[in-house]
Amino acid sequence: MTAIKINVYKQLDGYNFSLSPSIRDIIKKLFPGSHPANNIFVGYDTKSDFESFNGRLEQYIYPALLDVEKERLKEQVETIEFINSETGKIEKVHLDKEK
Amino acid sequence: MSEFLVLGWNVAIPEVDTGDDIFVVEDEKGTLRRVQVKTSEATIREDGFSAQFQVPLAQLQTIGNILVHYVFIVRYNKAWYAPVIIRQDYLLDYFENKNMGSKYNDHINLYFSYSKNKVICSKLDLTMYIADYTDFPKIEH
Repeated sequence: MTAIKINVYKQLDGYNFSLSPSIRDIIKKLFPGSHPANNIFVGYDTKSDFESFNGRLEQYIYPALLDVEKERLKEQVETIEFINSETGKIEKVHLDKEK
Repeated sequence: MSEFLVLGWNVAIPEVDTGDDIFVVEDEKGTLRRVQVKTSEATIREDGFSAQFQVPLAQLQTIGNILVHYVFIVRYNKAWYAPVIIRQDYLLDYFENKNMGSKYNDHINLYFSYSKNKVICSKLDLTMYIADYTDFPKIEH
């Protein structure tokens, strides 16, 4: 599979990362035993504090949201696309370049 | 609103119209649900009836951490037919990936056909969503 799309919505108090039902179904089929979540919400202060020590939040969000470890994801998925639902801007994470 | 109260949830109506019709709350834990009610008059058909609804596209596409539950209710035969309740992410998915509804200006038009206890929209069977209060489990007080 080429890309998994994750929607990103910037709220008043933080970011909401979400998966569509279709994507959740695809993940469950590609990775039996996984339980992808509907969404993960991260407050601005949490994001800021976290990224001070650990780098970009997104690299930790997608394995948690998809409930699949990075190494296992790489076997079947090339890219994770974070799509800003307001602006349409896409940020891509190429899994083959991820540590 | 009365249905949610019967299930033991509390209901609040915003003082100012910001897009959400109702806030439904489980008082003890503070679980909040956003509800958007859409009503329509039935148009009688040969083998049932139909109804048309409009959903703002921008609202549907804005997926926040508290999803909107859309409640579609039809006035049929001087009574309210059982509501079709669809959560926002599923409705958006049907629109974007399964050709449900049609886009017109800033809205999505949804045409529901009711017949023999089934409800169909754009060839998609939505019968499972009739009176689907799964996300509003009964609370015992």
